[in-house]
Amino acid sequence: MSQTKQLALVIDLNVCVGCHACVTSCKEWNSSGSAGPLTDLNPYGANPTGTFFNRVQTFEAGIFPNTQTVHLPKSCLHCEEPPCVPVCPTGASYKRKEDGIVLVDYDKCIGCSYCSWACPYGARELDQERQVMTKCTLCVDRIYSETLPESERKPACVLACPTSARIFGDVHDPESEASIAIRERSGYELMPEWETHPANHYLPRSIMETIEAARNDS
Amino acid sequence: MRPQFSIIIFTTLTGMAQGLLFAIAFLDFPAQIFSSAFLSKMAFPVALALLTLGLLASFFHLGRPERAWRAAMMWRTSWLSREVIALPVLMAVTFIAYLYSCTSQIQTWLWFSLLITAIVLWVCTAKIYQCIRFIQEWSHPTTVINFTLLGLTSGWLLLCTLISLWQSNDNPPTSGIMSGIAVVLLFMALNLKIWIWRRNRELRPKSNLASATGIKDSNLRQISMGLMGGSFNTREFFHHQTDRFIRNLRRIILLCTYIAPMILMSYAVSTPSTLLLSLALLIHYFGLLCERWMFFAEANHPQNLYYQRVS
Repeated sequence: MSQTKQLALVIDLNVCVGCHACVTSCKEWNSSGSAGPLTDLNPYGANPTGTFFNRVQTFEAGIFPNTQTVHLPKSCLHCEEPPCVPVCPTGASYKRKEDGIVLVDYDKCIGCSYCSWACPYGARELDQERQVMTKCTLCVDRIYSETLPESERKPACVLACPTSARIFGDVHDPESEASIAIRERSGYELMPEWETHPANHYLPRSIMETIEAARNDS
Repeated sequence: MRPQFSIIIFTTLTGMAQGLLFAIAFLDFPAQIFSSAFLSKMAFPVALALLTLGLLASFFHLGRPERAWRAAMMWRTSWLSREVIALPVLMAVTFIAYLYSCTSQIQTWLWFSLLITAIVLWVCTAKIYQCIRFIQEWSHPTTVINFTLLGLTSGWLLLCTLISLWQSNDNPPTSGIMSGIAVVLLFMALNLKIWIWRRNRELRPKSNLASATGIKDSNLRQISMGLMGGSFNTREFFHHQTDRFIRNLRRIILLCTYIAPMILMSYAVSTPSTLLLSLALLIHYFGLLCERWMFFAEANHPQNLYYQRVS
Protein backbone atom coordinates (compact mmCIF):
# COMPACT_ATOMS: atom_id res chain seq x y z
CA MET A 1 0.00 0.00 0.00
CA SER A 2 1.43 3.36 -0.96
CA GLN A 3 1.95 6.15 1.53
CA THR A 4 -0.25 8.69 -0.23
CA LYS A 5 -3.79 9.53 0.74
CA GLN A 6 -6.67 7.24 -0.27
CA LEU A 7 -10.08 8.67 0.52
CA ALA A 8 -12.84 6.12 0.81
CA LEU A 9 -16.11 5.14 2.46
CA VAL A 10 -16.50 2.47 5.10
CA ILE A 11 -20.06 1.22 5.24
CA ASP A 12 -21.44 -0.35 8.39
CA LEU A 13 -23.90 -3.11 7.43
CA ASN A 14 -24.98 -3.41 11.07
CA VAL A 15 -26.80 -0.11 11.01
CA CYS A 16 -27.81 0.52 7.39
CA VAL A 17 -31.61 0.47 7.38
CA GLY A 18 -31.98 0.67 3.59
CA CYS A 19 -33.75 4.05 3.61
CA HIS A 20 -32.11 5.23 0.34
CA ALA A 21 -31.36 8.66 1.85
CA CYS A 22 -27.78 8.32 0.57
CA VAL A 23 -29.14 7.57 -2.90
CA THR A 24 -31.38 10.61 -3.07
CA SER A 25 -28.92 12.99 -1.42
CA CYS A 26 -26.24 11.82 -3.86
CA LYS A 27 -28.57 12.40 -6.78
CA GLU A 28 -29.54 15.84 -5.45
CA TRP A 29 -26.01 17.06 -4.83
CA ASN A 30 -24.55 15.66 -8.03
CA SER A 31 -27.38 17.04 -10.16
CA SER A 32 -26.71 20.53 -8.86
CA GLY A 33 -22.97 20.30 -8.26
CA SER A 34 -20.13 20.56 -10.75
CA ALA A 35 -20.56 16.93 -11.90
CA GLY A 36 -24.22 17.28 -12.92
CA PRO A 37 -26.78 16.97 -14.25
CA LEU A 38 -27.54 13.32 -13.69
CA THR A 39 -30.16 12.80 -16.33
CA ASP A 40 -33.55 11.21 -15.74
CA LEU A 41 -35.43 9.93 -18.75
CA ASN A 42 -39.20 9.75 -18.65
CA PRO A 43 -39.19 10.71 -14.94
CA TYR A 44 -42.98 10.96 -14.58
CA GLY A 45 -43.86 8.17 -17.02
CA ALA A 46 -44.50 4.50 -16.52
CA ASN A 47 -40.86 3.48 -16.94
CA PRO A 48 -38.61 6.14 -15.49
CA THR A 49 -34.87 5.52 -15.75
CA GLY A 50 -31.94 7.62 -14.82
CA THR A 51 -28.32 7.94 -13.83
CA PHE A 52 -27.35 7.31 -10.22
CA PHE A 53 -23.95 7.15 -8.56
CA ASN A 54 -25.17 5.21 -5.59
CA ARG A 55 -27.64 2.37 -5.06
CA VAL A 56 -28.90 0.51 -2.01
CA GLN A 57 -29.50 -3.15 -2.72
CA THR A 58 -31.16 -5.61 -0.39
CA PHE A 59 -30.20 -9.20 0.27
CA GLU A 60 -31.69 -11.89 2.44
CA ALA A 61 -29.54 -14.48 4.19
CA GLY A 62 -30.36 -17.61 6.12
CA ILE A 63 -33.36 -19.94 6.33
CA PHE A 64 -36.64 -18.92 8.00
CA PRO A 65 -37.03 -18.18 10.86
CA ASN A 66 -33.31 -17.43 11.20
CA THR A 67 -33.13 -14.95 8.35
CA GLN A 68 -31.67 -11.52 8.20
CA THR A 69 -32.18 -8.72 5.72
CA VAL A 70 -28.99 -6.95 4.72
CA HIS A 71 -29.00 -3.63 2.90
CA LEU A 72 -25.87 -3.09 0.83
CA PRO A 73 -25.25 0.44 -0.44
CA LYS A 74 -22.98 0.32 -3.49
CA SER A 75 -21.21 3.11 -5.32
CA CYS A 76 -17.81 3.33 -7.01
CA LEU A 77 -15.34 1.64 -4.65
CA HIS A 78 -12.38 3.80 -5.77
CA CYS A 79 -10.16 0.75 -6.21
CA GLU A 80 -6.47 0.95 -5.42
CA GLU A 81 -5.91 -0.97 -8.69
CA PRO A 82 -8.85 0.29 -10.76
CA PRO A 83 -9.32 -1.96 -13.84
CA CYS A 84 -11.47 0.74 -15.45
CA VAL A 85 -8.62 3.27 -15.72
CA PRO A 86 -5.96 1.63 -17.95
CA VAL A 87 -8.55 0.51 -20.53
CA CYS A 88 -9.80 4.06 -21.20
CA PRO A 89 -8.58 5.01 -24.70
CA THR A 90 -8.74 8.76 -24.13
CA GLY A 91 -7.39 9.16 -20.61
CA ALA A 92 -10.74 10.58 -19.49
CA SER A 93 -10.83 7.96 -16.73
CA TYR A 94 -8.15 8.53 -14.14
CA LYS A 95 -7.18 7.97 -10.54
CA ARG A 96 -6.00 11.06 -8.67
CA LYS A 97 -2.55 10.70 -7.19
CA GLU A 98 -3.23 13.12 -4.35
CA ASP A 99 -6.25 11.39 -2.80
CA GLY A 100 -6.93 8.20 -4.79
CA ILE A 101 -10.35 9.27 -6.08
CA VAL A 102 -11.22 7.68 -9.45
CA LEU A 103 -12.78 10.31 -11.70
CA VAL A 104 -14.01 10.78 -15.27
CA ASP A 105 -13.16 13.92 -17.22
CA TYR A 106 -16.53 14.53 -18.87
CA ASP A 107 -14.93 16.81 -21.47
CA LYS A 108 -12.63 14.04 -22.72
CA CYS A 109 -14.96 11.02 -22.49
CA ILE A 110 -16.09 9.68 -25.89
CA GLY A 111 -18.82 7.48 -24.39
CA CYS A 112 -17.47 4.16 -25.67
CA SER A 113 -18.58 2.37 -22.45
CA TYR A 114 -15.41 0.25 -22.40
CA CYS A 115 -14.60 1.29 -18.81
CA SER A 116 -18.01 0.11 -17.64
CA TRP A 117 -17.29 -3.31 -19.13
CA ALA A 118 -13.98 -3.32 -17.31
CA CYS A 119 -15.56 -2.64 -13.88
CA PRO A 120 -16.66 -5.88 -12.18
CA TYR A 121 -18.91 -3.95 -9.77
CA GLY A 122 -21.09 -2.12 -12.30
CA ALA A 123 -20.18 1.16 -10.65
CA ARG A 124 -20.26 3.21 -13.85
CA GLU A 125 -23.31 4.41 -15.74
CA LEU A 126 -23.43 6.02 -19.15
CA ASP A 127 -25.52 9.16 -18.87
CA GLN A 128 -28.22 8.80 -21.52
CA GLU A 129 -28.49 12.49 -22.28
CA ARG A 130 -24.90 13.64 -22.05
CA GLN A 131 -23.56 10.37 -23.54
CA VAL A 132 -20.53 10.32 -21.27
CA MET A 133 -19.59 7.84 -18.58
CA THR A 134 -20.46 8.97 -15.06
CA LYS A 135 -19.67 7.63 -11.62
CA CYS A 136 -19.34 8.50 -7.95
CA THR A 137 -16.87 11.36 -7.46
CA LEU A 138 -16.77 10.93 -3.68
CA CYS A 139 -18.26 14.44 -3.84
CA VAL A 140 -14.90 15.85 -4.81
CA ASP A 141 -16.59 19.27 -5.19
CA ARG A 142 -17.85 19.14 -1.57
CA ILE A 143 -14.96 17.72 0.37
CA TYR A 144 -12.51 20.41 -0.76
CA SER A 145 -15.05 23.23 -0.88
CA GLU A 146 -13.95 26.45 0.77
CA THR A 147 -17.44 27.94 0.81
CA LEU A 148 -19.11 25.15 2.77
CA PRO A 149 -18.74 25.07 6.55
CA GLU A 150 -16.04 22.63 7.55
CA SER A 151 -18.47 20.14 9.08
CA GLU A 152 -20.21 19.78 5.70
CA ARG A 153 -17.05 19.00 3.73
CA LYS A 154 -18.02 15.35 3.43
CA PRO A 155 -19.75 13.36 0.67
CA ALA A 156 -23.49 14.07 0.51
CA CYS A 157 -24.33 10.41 1.22
CA VAL A 158 -22.33 10.47 4.46
CA LEU A 159 -24.11 13.60 5.71
CA ALA A 160 -27.54 12.24 4.75
CA CYS A 161 -27.25 8.86 6.46
CA PRO A 162 -29.60 8.92 9.48
CA THR A 163 -27.85 6.00 11.18
CA SER A 164 -24.26 7.08 10.51
CA ALA A 165 -23.64 3.89 8.57
CA ARG A 166 -21.14 5.64 6.31
CA ILE A 167 -17.70 6.57 7.55
CA PHE A 168 -15.63 8.81 5.28
CA GLY A 169 -11.87 9.08 5.60
CA ASP A 170 -8.35 8.31 4.50
CA VAL A 171 -7.85 4.54 4.60
CA HIS A 172 -4.07 4.96 4.25
CA ASP A 173 -3.91 6.92 7.50
CA PRO A 174 -3.86 4.23 10.21
CA GLU A 175 -5.27 6.70 12.76
CA SER A 176 -8.31 7.77 10.72
CA GLU A 177 -11.78 6.76 11.88
CA ALA A 178 -12.18 4.77 8.64
CA SER A 179 -8.94 2.81 9.11
CA ILE A 180 -9.70 2.07 12.75
CA ALA A 181 -13.17 0.80 11.82
CA ILE A 182 -11.70 -1.50 9.13
CA ARG A 183 -9.04 -2.78 11.50
CA GLU A 184 -11.13 -3.30 14.62
CA ARG A 185 -14.36 -4.49 13.01
CA SER A 186 -12.88 -6.68 10.26
CA GLY A 187 -13.83 -4.46 7.33
CA TYR A 188 -13.78 -6.34 4.03
CA GLU A 189 -13.64 -5.70 0.27
CA LEU A 190 -16.22 -6.68 -2.39
CA MET A 191 -15.09 -9.31 -4.92
CA PRO A 192 -11.54 -9.64 -3.55
CA GLU A 193 -10.91 -12.38 -6.16
CA TRP A 194 -10.18 -9.84 -8.90
CA GLU A 195 -7.46 -8.07 -6.93
CA THR A 196 -8.81 -4.61 -7.64
CA HIS A 197 -8.30 -3.73 -3.96
CA PRO A 198 -11.35 -1.52 -3.48
CA ALA A 199 -10.70 1.42 -1.18
CA ASN A 200 -14.29 1.33 0.09
CA HIS A 201 -14.80 -1.29 2.76
CA TYR A 202 -17.80 -2.89 4.40
CA LEU A 203 -18.19 -3.70 8.09
CA PRO A 204 -19.81 -7.13 8.45
CA ARG A 205 -22.97 -7.73 10.45
CA SER A 206 -22.32 -8.94 13.96
CA ILE A 207 -25.92 -8.89 15.21
CA MET A 208 -26.69 -12.51 14.29
CA GLU A 209 -23.60 -13.75 16.11
CA THR A 210 -24.63 -11.67 19.12
CA ILE A 211 -28.14 -13.13 19.12
CA GLU A 212 -26.74 -16.61 18.68
CA ALA A 213 -24.37 -16.12 21.59
CA ALA A 214 -27.18 -14.75 23.78
CA ARG A 215 -29.34 -17.77 22.93
CA ASN A 216 -26.56 -20.14 23.85
CA ASP A 217 -25.98 -18.32 27.14
CA SER A 218 -29.60 -18.43 28.28
CA MET B 1 -23.15 -8.32 -22.58
CA ARG B 2 -25.51 -6.47 -24.87
CA PRO B 3 -24.31 -6.98 -28.45
CA GLN B 4 -24.02 -3.70 -30.34
CA PHE B 5 -24.49 -3.83 -34.09
CA SER B 6 -21.92 -1.11 -34.75
CA ILE B 7 -19.20 -3.26 -33.16
CA ILE B 8 -20.47 -6.45 -34.81
CA ILE B 9 -20.37 -4.83 -38.27
CA PHE B 10 -17.05 -3.15 -37.55
CA THR B 11 -15.24 -6.31 -36.41
CA THR B 12 -16.64 -8.52 -39.18
CA LEU B 13 -16.05 -6.05 -42.05
CA THR B 14 -12.51 -5.08 -41.02
CA GLY B 15 -11.79 -8.73 -40.19
CA MET B 16 -12.79 -9.70 -43.72
CA ALA B 17 -10.66 -6.92 -45.22
CA GLN B 18 -7.71 -8.02 -43.08
CA GLY B 19 -8.23 -11.61 -44.23
CA LEU B 20 -8.31 -10.51 -47.87
CA LEU B 21 -5.15 -8.41 -47.52
CA PHE B 22 -3.41 -11.16 -45.58
CA ALA B 23 -4.36 -13.71 -48.22
CA ILE B 24 -3.14 -11.73 -51.23
CA ALA B 25 0.02 -10.68 -49.41
CA PHE B 26 0.67 -14.28 -48.36
CA LEU B 27 0.14 -15.62 -51.89
CA ASP B 28 1.92 -12.87 -53.79
CA PHE B 29 4.79 -12.44 -51.32
CA PRO B 30 6.99 -15.39 -52.42
CA ALA B 31 6.16 -15.27 -56.13
CA GLN B 32 4.02 -12.78 -58.00
CA ILE B 33 0.77 -14.43 -59.09
CA PHE B 34 -1.82 -11.65 -59.20
CA SER B 35 -1.88 -9.13 -62.03
CA SER B 36 -1.42 -5.45 -61.20
CA ALA B 37 -4.80 -4.73 -62.79
CA PHE B 38 -6.55 -7.21 -60.49
CA LEU B 39 -4.87 -5.71 -57.44
CA SER B 40 -5.44 -2.05 -58.37
CA LYS B 41 -8.96 -2.38 -59.76
CA MET B 42 -10.37 -5.17 -57.62
CA ALA B 43 -8.58 -6.40 -54.51
CA PHE B 44 -7.25 -3.17 -52.96
CA PRO B 45 -10.34 -1.01 -53.67
CA VAL B 46 -12.57 -3.69 -52.12
CA ALA B 47 -10.28 -3.97 -49.07
CA LEU B 48 -10.19 -0.18 -48.66
CA ALA B 49 -13.97 0.06 -49.00
CA LEU B 50 -14.49 -2.62 -46.34
CA LEU B 51 -12.03 -0.96 -43.96
CA THR B 52 -13.70 2.43 -44.49
CA LEU B 53 -17.17 0.98 -43.89
CA GLY B 54 -15.88 -0.73 -40.75
CA LEU B 55 -14.34 2.51 -39.52
CA LEU B 56 -17.63 4.34 -40.15
CA ALA B 57 -19.59 1.65 -38.31
CA SER B 58 -17.30 1.95 -35.29
CA PHE B 59 -18.28 5.62 -34.87
CA PHE B 60 -21.91 4.64 -34.25
CA HIS B 61 -20.82 2.90 -31.09
CA LEU B 62 -19.59 6.13 -29.49
CA GLY B 63 -21.70 8.44 -27.37
CA ARG B 64 -19.56 11.38 -28.47
CA PRO B 65 -18.24 10.53 -31.96
CA GLU B 66 -16.94 14.07 -32.49
CA ARG B 67 -14.28 13.37 -29.86
CA ALA B 68 -13.17 10.08 -31.44
CA TRP B 69 -9.69 11.43 -32.20
CA ARG B 70 -8.96 11.47 -28.48
CA ALA B 71 -9.13 7.65 -28.45
CA ALA B 72 -5.59 7.41 -29.84
CA MET B 73 -4.10 8.99 -26.71
CA MET B 74 -3.67 6.12 -24.26
CA TRP B 75 -1.94 3.53 -26.46
CA ARG B 76 0.46 2.72 -23.63
CA THR B 77 -2.24 1.04 -21.56
CA SER B 78 -5.40 0.57 -23.63
CA TRP B 79 -5.92 -2.05 -26.35
CA LEU B 80 -8.85 0.01 -27.62
CA SER B 81 -6.49 2.92 -28.13
CA ARG B 82 -4.01 0.64 -29.92
CA GLU B 83 -6.80 -0.57 -32.20
CA VAL B 84 -7.73 3.02 -32.97
CA ILE B 85 -4.14 3.53 -34.19
CA ALA B 86 -3.73 0.14 -35.89
CA LEU B 87 -6.77 0.53 -38.14
CA PRO B 88 -5.70 3.79 -39.87
CA VAL B 89 -2.16 2.38 -40.17
CA LEU B 90 -3.51 -0.67 -42.01
CA MET B 91 -5.62 1.62 -44.20
CA ALA B 92 -2.58 3.75 -44.99
CA VAL B 93 -0.40 0.73 -45.85
CA THR B 94 -3.21 -0.65 -48.04
CA PHE B 95 -3.52 2.71 -49.79
CA ILE B 96 0.23 2.85 -50.44
CA ALA B 97 0.05 -0.70 -51.82
CA TYR B 98 -2.86 0.41 -54.00
CA LEU B 99 -0.81 3.33 -55.38
CA TYR B 100 2.10 1.00 -56.11
CA SER B 101 -0.18 -1.49 -57.84
CA CYS B 102 -1.46 1.29 -60.15
CA THR B 103 1.98 2.11 -61.48
CA SER B 104 4.35 -0.74 -60.80
CA GLN B 105 4.78 -3.98 -58.97
CA ILE B 106 4.41 -4.25 -55.22
CA GLN B 107 7.68 -4.72 -53.44
CA THR B 108 8.39 -7.32 -50.82
CA TRP B 109 8.60 -4.85 -47.93
CA LEU B 110 5.09 -3.62 -48.72
CA TRP B 111 3.61 -7.12 -48.74
CA PHE B 112 5.44 -7.76 -45.51
CA SER B 113 4.03 -4.57 -43.92
CA LEU B 114 0.52 -5.62 -44.96
CA LEU B 115 0.95 -9.04 -43.33
CA ILE B 116 2.21 -7.48 -40.11
CA THR B 117 -0.36 -4.68 -39.84
CA ALA B 118 -3.24 -7.07 -40.56
CA ILE B 119 -2.07 -9.36 -37.74
CA VAL B 120 -1.51 -6.42 -35.38
CA LEU B 121 -5.08 -5.20 -35.92
CA TRP B 122 -6.49 -8.67 -35.22
CA VAL B 123 -4.52 -8.86 -32.00
CA CYS B 124 -5.58 -5.33 -30.91
CA THR B 125 -9.27 -5.95 -31.64
CA ALA B 126 -9.41 -9.28 -29.84
CA LYS B 127 -7.26 -8.13 -26.92
CA ILE B 128 -9.83 -5.42 -26.14
CA TYR B 129 -12.09 -8.24 -24.99
CA GLN B 130 -9.51 -10.77 -23.90
CA CYS B 131 -7.86 -8.39 -21.42
CA ILE B 132 -11.00 -8.02 -19.26
CA ARG B 133 -10.03 -10.69 -16.76
CA PHE B 134 -13.36 -11.06 -15.00
CA ILE B 135 -15.29 -11.82 -18.20
CA GLN B 136 -14.09 -15.41 -18.13
CA GLU B 137 -15.58 -16.32 -21.54
CA TRP B 138 -13.31 -13.75 -23.18
CA SER B 139 -10.26 -13.95 -20.98
CA HIS B 140 -8.53 -16.70 -22.93
CA PRO B 141 -6.02 -16.81 -25.86
CA THR B 142 -8.69 -18.43 -28.08
CA THR B 143 -10.33 -14.99 -28.36
CA VAL B 144 -7.42 -13.73 -30.50
CA ILE B 145 -7.22 -17.00 -32.45
CA ASN B 146 -10.96 -16.97 -33.15
CA PHE B 147 -10.96 -13.35 -34.40
CA THR B 148 -7.93 -14.11 -36.60
CA LEU B 149 -9.22 -17.40 -37.98
CA LEU B 150 -12.67 -16.03 -38.85
CA GLY B 151 -11.03 -12.98 -40.45
CA LEU B 152 -8.97 -15.40 -42.57
CA THR B 153 -11.94 -17.56 -43.58
CA SER B 154 -14.08 -14.59 -44.64
CA GLY B 155 -11.13 -12.89 -46.37
CA TRP B 156 -10.22 -16.11 -48.18
CA LEU B 157 -13.81 -16.66 -49.38
CA LEU B 158 -13.89 -13.03 -50.53
CA LEU B 159 -10.64 -13.51 -52.46
CA CYS B 160 -12.03 -16.64 -54.17
CA THR B 161 -15.14 -14.67 -55.19
CA LEU B 162 -13.16 -11.66 -56.40
CA ILE B 163 -10.87 -13.84 -58.54
CA SER B 164 -13.83 -15.57 -60.15
CA LEU B 165 -15.50 -12.20 -60.77
CA TRP B 166 -12.36 -10.96 -62.57
CA GLN B 167 -13.12 -11.61 -66.23
CA SER B 168 -9.75 -10.80 -67.87
CA ASN B 169 -7.31 -13.56 -68.56
CA ASP B 170 -4.37 -11.80 -66.91
CA ASN B 171 -5.07 -13.40 -63.53
CA PRO B 172 -5.13 -17.01 -62.39
CA PRO B 173 -8.68 -18.43 -62.16
CA THR B 174 -10.03 -19.68 -58.86
CA SER B 175 -8.42 -23.05 -58.57
CA GLY B 176 -9.71 -26.12 -56.84
CA ILE B 177 -6.80 -25.79 -54.41
CA MET B 178 -8.03 -22.39 -53.22
CA SER B 179 -11.52 -23.78 -52.58
CA GLY B 180 -9.93 -26.71 -50.80
CA ILE B 181 -7.93 -24.38 -48.55
CA ALA B 182 -11.20 -22.53 -47.76
CA VAL B 183 -12.71 -25.82 -46.58
CA VAL B 184 -9.67 -26.53 -44.41
CA LEU B 185 -9.75 -23.03 -42.86
CA LEU B 186 -13.48 -23.30 -42.19
CA PHE B 187 -12.99 -26.71 -40.62
CA MET B 188 -10.29 -25.34 -38.30
CA ALA B 189 -12.52 -22.39 -37.34
CA LEU B 190 -15.43 -24.74 -36.67
CA ASN B 191 -13.34 -26.91 -34.36
CA LEU B 192 -12.11 -23.86 -32.50
CA LYS B 193 -15.67 -22.57 -32.04
CA ILE B 194 -16.86 -25.93 -30.72
CA TRP B 195 -13.89 -25.98 -28.34
CA ILE B 196 -14.68 -22.44 -27.15
CA TRP B 197 -18.34 -23.25 -26.58
CA ARG B 198 -17.39 -26.36 -24.63
CA ARG B 199 -14.98 -24.33 -22.51
CA ASN B 200 -17.66 -21.68 -21.87
CA ARG B 201 -20.12 -24.34 -20.80
CA GLU B 202 -17.70 -25.73 -18.26
CA LEU B 203 -16.62 -22.38 -16.86
CA ARG B 204 -17.16 -21.90 -13.15
CA PRO B 205 -17.75 -18.25 -12.32
CA LYS B 206 -15.08 -16.97 -9.97
CA SER B 207 -17.47 -14.43 -8.47
CA ASN B 208 -20.67 -15.33 -6.70
CA LEU B 209 -23.20 -13.57 -4.49
CA ALA B 210 -21.11 -14.36 -1.41
CA SER B 211 -17.97 -12.72 -2.79
CA ALA B 212 -19.97 -9.86 -4.35
CA THR B 213 -21.62 -8.92 -1.06
CA GLY B 214 -19.28 -10.42 1.53
CA ILE B 215 -22.28 -11.69 3.49
CA LYS B 216 -21.30 -14.96 5.11
CA ASP B 217 -24.25 -17.28 4.70
CA SER B 218 -24.68 -20.25 2.41
CA ASN B 219 -28.32 -19.32 1.80
CA LEU B 220 -28.09 -15.89 0.24
CA ARG B 221 -30.37 -14.18 -2.28
CA GLN B 222 -31.10 -10.73 -3.56
CA ILE B 223 -34.52 -9.34 -2.74
CA SER B 224 -34.13 -5.90 -4.32
CA MET B 225 -31.69 -4.33 -6.75
CA GLY B 226 -32.72 -0.93 -5.43
CA LEU B 227 -34.47 0.35 -8.54
CA MET B 228 -37.56 -0.52 -10.55
CA GLY B 229 -37.34 1.38 -13.84
CA GLY B 230 -34.18 -0.20 -15.20
CA SER B 231 -30.81 1.47 -15.56
CA PHE B 232 -27.60 1.33 -17.56
CA ASN B 233 -26.66 -1.67 -15.42
CA THR B 234 -29.76 -3.64 -16.37
CA ARG B 235 -29.51 -2.73 -20.06
CA GLU B 236 -25.82 -2.94 -20.95
CA PHE B 237 -24.71 -6.24 -19.47
CA PHE B 238 -27.27 -8.72 -20.76
CA HIS B 239 -28.42 -9.79 -24.24
CA HIS B 240 -32.16 -9.57 -23.38
CA GLN B 241 -33.06 -12.70 -25.38
CA THR B 242 -34.60 -16.00 -24.34
CA ASP B 243 -32.68 -19.24 -23.88
CA ARG B 244 -34.57 -20.64 -26.86
CA PHE B 245 -33.39 -17.79 -29.09
CA ILE B 246 -29.80 -18.41 -27.98
CA ARG B 247 -30.10 -22.16 -28.65
CA ASN B 248 -31.52 -21.60 -32.12
CA LEU B 249 -28.93 -18.97 -32.93
CA ARG B 250 -26.17 -21.42 -32.00
CA ARG B 251 -27.55 -23.81 -34.64
CA ILE B 252 -27.74 -21.01 -37.21
CA ILE B 253 -24.13 -20.09 -36.46
CA LEU B 254 -22.92 -23.66 -36.94
CA LEU B 255 -24.86 -23.99 -40.17
CA CYS B 256 -24.25 -20.60 -41.80
CA THR B 257 -20.78 -19.71 -40.58
CA TYR B 258 -19.21 -23.10 -41.03
CA ILE B 259 -21.14 -26.06 -42.43
CA ALA B 260 -23.00 -24.53 -45.41
CA PRO B 261 -19.90 -22.66 -46.70
CA MET B 262 -17.86 -25.86 -46.27
CA ILE B 263 -20.35 -27.83 -48.38
CA LEU B 264 -20.49 -25.11 -51.06
CA MET B 265 -16.71 -24.78 -51.17
CA SER B 266 -16.34 -28.56 -51.43
CA TYR B 267 -18.50 -28.38 -54.56
CA ALA B 268 -16.38 -25.48 -55.77
CA VAL B 269 -13.25 -27.66 -55.65
CA SER B 270 -14.40 -29.42 -58.82
CA THR B 271 -16.72 -26.77 -60.32
CA PRO B 272 -15.77 -23.26 -59.20
CA SER B 273 -18.56 -20.94 -60.35
CA THR B 274 -19.00 -17.29 -59.35
CA LEU B 275 -22.50 -18.03 -58.13
CA LEU B 276 -21.36 -20.84 -55.86
CA LEU B 277 -18.46 -18.82 -54.44
CA SER B 278 -20.44 -15.64 -53.82
CA LEU B 279 -23.25 -17.65 -52.23
CA ALA B 280 -20.74 -19.26 -49.88
CA LEU B 281 -19.35 -15.82 -49.02
CA LEU B 282 -22.78 -14.29 -48.35
CA ILE B 283 -23.94 -17.17 -46.14
CA HIS B 284 -20.61 -17.15 -44.31
CA TYR B 285 -20.83 -13.39 -43.66
CA PHE B 286 -24.40 -13.70 -42.35
CA GLY B 287 -23.19 -16.49 -40.06
CA LEU B 288 -20.29 -14.30 -39.00
CA LEU B 289 -22.68 -11.52 -37.92
CA CYS B 290 -24.54 -14.07 -35.78
CA GLU B 291 -21.27 -15.47 -34.42
CA ARG B 292 -20.10 -12.01 -33.34
CA TRP B 293 -23.49 -11.27 -31.79
CA MET B 294 -23.16 -14.49 -29.80
CA PHE B 295 -19.58 -13.62 -28.79
CA PHE B 296 -20.96 -10.62 -26.90
CA ALA B 297 -24.16 -12.29 -25.73
CA GLU B 298 -22.42 -15.28 -24.16
CA ALA B 299 -20.06 -13.12 -22.08
CA ASN B 300 -21.23 -13.09 -18.48
CA HIS B 301 -20.39 -9.97 -16.52
CA PRO B 302 -20.03 -10.31 -12.73
CA GLN B 303 -21.89 -7.02 -12.17
CA ASN B 304 -25.09 -8.91 -13.03
CA LEU B 305 -24.82 -10.52 -9.58
CA TYR B 306 -25.99 -7.18 -8.20
CA TYR B 307 -28.96 -6.95 -10.56
CA GLN B 308 -30.95 -10.15 -10.19
CA ARG B 309 -34.27 -9.08 -8.71
CA VAL B 310 -36.24 -5.85 -9.14
CA SER B 311 -38.02 -6.20 -5.82
